[in-house]
Amino acid sequence: MEDDDQQKTLDLVKELVHRLLSHNPTAPNNAAQNPNPTDLNNSFRYAVRILSSKLTPSIAPDADAIAESIKRRLATQGKSSKALSFADLYNKFASKTGAGSINNKWAVLYLLKIVSEDRKVSQASQNSALLLPNLTLDDREIGGDSRNSRRGDKGWENGVLVVAKDPENLREIAFREFVDLIKEENEVSEEVLVRDVLYACQGIDGKYVKFDADLDGYVLPENFKVPRSTRTMVRKLCELGWLFRKVRGYITDSLDSFPTAEVGTVGQALCAALQDELSEYYKLLAVLETQAMNPIPLVSRSATSGNYLSLRRLSVWFVEPMVKMRLMAVLVDTCKVLKGGAMAGSIHLHAQHGDPLVHEFMKSLLRRVCSPLFEMVRRWVLEGELEDIFSEFFIVSETKELESNVSQKAKESLWREGYRLHSMMLPSFISQPLAQRILRTGKSINFLRVCCDDRGWADAATEAAAAAGTSTRRGSLGYGETDALENLVAEAAKRIDKHLLDVMYSRYKFKEHCLAIKRYLLLGQGDFVQYLMDSIGEELSEPANTISSFKLAGFLESAIRSSNAQYDDRDILDRVRVNMMVQSTGDRGWDVFSLEYDASVPLNTVFTESVMAEYRRIFNFLWKLRRVEHALIGAWKTMKPNCITSNSFVKLQGAVKSQLLVTLRQCQVLWNEMNHFVTNLQYYIMFEVLEVSWSNFSDEMESAKDLDDLLAAHEKYLNSIVEKSLLGERSRPLYKSLFVLFDLILRYRGQVDRLYEGIYELQARNAVSLPSKDKRKSSKQTAKKTSEPPGSWIGEGRKALTQRAGEFLQNMGKELGAIAKEYTSLLEVFLSELPVQQHIDLKFLLFRLDFTEFYSQLHPTK
Amino acid sequence: MDPEAAKTARESLELSFQMSNILDTGLDRHTLSVLIALCDLGLNPEALTVVVKNCAQKLSSSPPPTPASSS
Repeated sequence: MEDDDQQKTLDLVKELVHRLLSHNPTAPNNAAQNPNPTDLNNSFRYAVRILSSKLTPSIAPDADAIAESIKRRLATQGKSSKALSFADLYNKFASKTGAGSINNKWAVLYLLKIVSEDRKVSQASQNSALLLPNLTLDDREIGGDSRNSRRGDKGWENGVLVVAKDPENLREIAFREFVDLIKEENEVSEEVLVRDVLYACQGIDGKYVKFDADLDGYVLPENFKVPRSTRTMVRKLCELGWLFRKVRGYITDSLDSFPTAEVGTVGQALCAALQDELSEYYKLLAVLETQAMNPIPLVSRSATSGNYLSLRRLSVWFVEPMVKMRLMAVLVDTCKVLKGGAMAGSIHLHAQHGDPLVHEFMKSLLRRVCSPLFEMVRRWVLEGELEDIFSEFFIVSETKELESNVSQKAKESLWREGYRLHSMMLPSFISQPLAQRILRTGKSINFLRVCCDDRGWADAATEAAAAAGTSTRRGSLGYGETDALENLVAEAAKRIDKHLLDVMYSRYKFKEHCLAIKRYLLLGQGDFVQYLMDSIGEELSEPANTISSFKLAGFLESAIRSSNAQYDDRDILDRVRVNMMVQSTGDRGWDVFSLEYDASVPLNTVFTESVMAEYRRIFNFLWKLRRVEHALIGAWKTMKPNCITSNSFVKLQGAVKSQLLVTLRQCQVLWNEMNHFVTNLQYYIMFEVLEVSWSNFSDEMESAKDLDDLLAAHEKYLNSIVEKSLLGERSRPLYKSLFVLFDLILRYRGQVDRLYEGIYELQARNAVSLPSKDKRKSSKQTAKKTSEPPGSWIGEGRKALTQRAGEFLQNMGKELGAIAKEYTSLLEVFLSELPVQQHIDLKFLLFRLDFTEFYSQLHPTK
Repeated sequence: MDPEAAKTARESLELSFQMSNILDTGLDRHTLSVLIALCDLGLNPEALTVVVKNCAQKLSSSPPPTPASSS
């Protein structure tokens, strides 16, 4: 039986092979053809060999399971109708039992299944390209496959025989076309491109990616065929290379131009910081390069992968360096033209960014960049040294040399103009008040060192540093510690200022000098002024060019000695000098005389030339006022009732007597008015202007914290004096009318003198021409205004005397009347202009002058 | 064979043939019948598949044979 079976098997196999090999659908007449006998034999032998190799099937003989799997496969392939039909058929098939049925149904099913799967696989593998370019294709197989596919489909696809392209194979055909496209486009493989991009990011041209100077960027030239997406990606990644080039270019430029001193210390610090960042970047690139060599380890062995680093992966890696490099490039752009503090300021502005990455990065850069600046600040504030070769600091020194033998002028202007703020170089994280304070502190140290020859500030500086918690060494401050800087500056400023003021007050006796100026230049020392006026009064009436200043100096000395001023400090008294101002012809001594105070270094920072000129102006005014006052007082002395005048009442004739009385009365009245005016003006000036301003100034001097405050206080003091005493700009018309009034008063004085001279003369004359009893009570012959020398009519008769007296008195009366009228009109002008003035204190003057409303009643125009 | 068995056999073959067409195996009736007979005899279906594939490959790779005289 076995042999039988075996023979049957062999026969069947032979039959099978025969049939299979003769099955050739492309034959034109479709008849079974006889295959090649060699082929046949070969196949037969092969078949026997296989079949007897006792291969056992690898699955369990379960027909249902197989049928299920077939159905599932059909369903997943989308052929659900087929699946249903198959199910139907299988049911029927499985139900066929009994004789003549197939025993190993499972075998049949399994066979069918495998055969169909194999066919599918072979078709699929012949024309699909699931992986990209690296697969080879066989065109012959494609052709054969289409034949196969056509062969395989008969009648079960909706009853239509599809001859042309199989819609089921559309996907595979699409894959085919795609592969063709890829092959066309990709000349260059991805890994080469990745390496090129890595080179480009270090500024080196790669094999394909080169720097194009026209386009100013790294490009992949057009002649290489790459798909557009790759090209775009390469372009994007090479932006990093472009930025890198820019930054590196800046660094090399700066380093090159360093010897020519165009790049300052701040610029160098920036370069150093940028170089550090770039070295970090190089590290990243080195890591990426090693990664580019390694392939990815994959789980399945059958697939091959490209290298680890693809362009996409590279773009992910480059995100952070791109941000940083962009920031650096922006910085480089803005800082190319800036220097010093301005550079630091603009970087600081960039650091005001919300993104923490940017913020941190900028901060670290800034810390490096600002260290030279902060160092300069520290040195300036603690030592007064300005070490600024590249002029990057925001404090600029205007003096050319700061040696100890610098000229007087330079020393004088050291405080005010020696140093100033250069606002361009002021970084934006240092505010204006802080900068002012820094300037002042350093200035104070320099001032102390140069003008005051003081060394005590060093202690103050160390104290300040200790108090602020930093040391006086280098490098103890950094950016971001603006608070610490402010602290340090505040402490230093406080101490140095205090020290400076101490020096000013104690060593140089600033207050005493101010007081002395007030007493001498501003005529505060009344008795001294009185003596001076008495002694020089006559001298000064001479023409100016005949007066010698030595003589005047002598008078000054004697005046000092005879007044309380002699008890003053010798040093101060030495400084008071006579100064003859510039004379023009026709000047009297009164016009050119002035006192001056000699202020030396360092006081001449406060009492500069212009300040002294102001003082001189005030002195002139006060001196004029004093002169007028002096004149009036002198007039009063003459007008005092005395024997001479009273005697003249007795002796003179009635008419003359009444005229005399009238004249005298007029004189007195006028004198009173003038005196009232002058006294009140004097009072106003002395007390309401000078003393008040002085007390304000004293208070401010007490509370002044530094020299700037002191200077400001002093200026305010002077300005208020000038304003209130009608010397200011706005009071110019008032000032003029005031001077006219003064002149008038002086003229009046002259008249009074003449009047009384006349009266005395008349007395004398009377006494001469009368019997001896009246010899004493002589009246004088009067002289007319165009006077003859008095006493030339001795011997004339009494009548003539009386007549002359009468005439004289009449003339005097007229004169005085004229003066009076002029005076009243001028005073009216003055008083009318007074209320227009803005200054509130002048209203007080008006009030005093007119407190009885006498004048306003006289002219009730309001 | 009795007609019953023959009928069964015929029907079975018919059904198998239809199934094979659904599954797109490319086998015709006669080949299929031989295969079924071989399977029924207990041969390994996988081995049979290999034979079928081999022959199919041979068929597709060799040029169509000219009508030769039967040997």
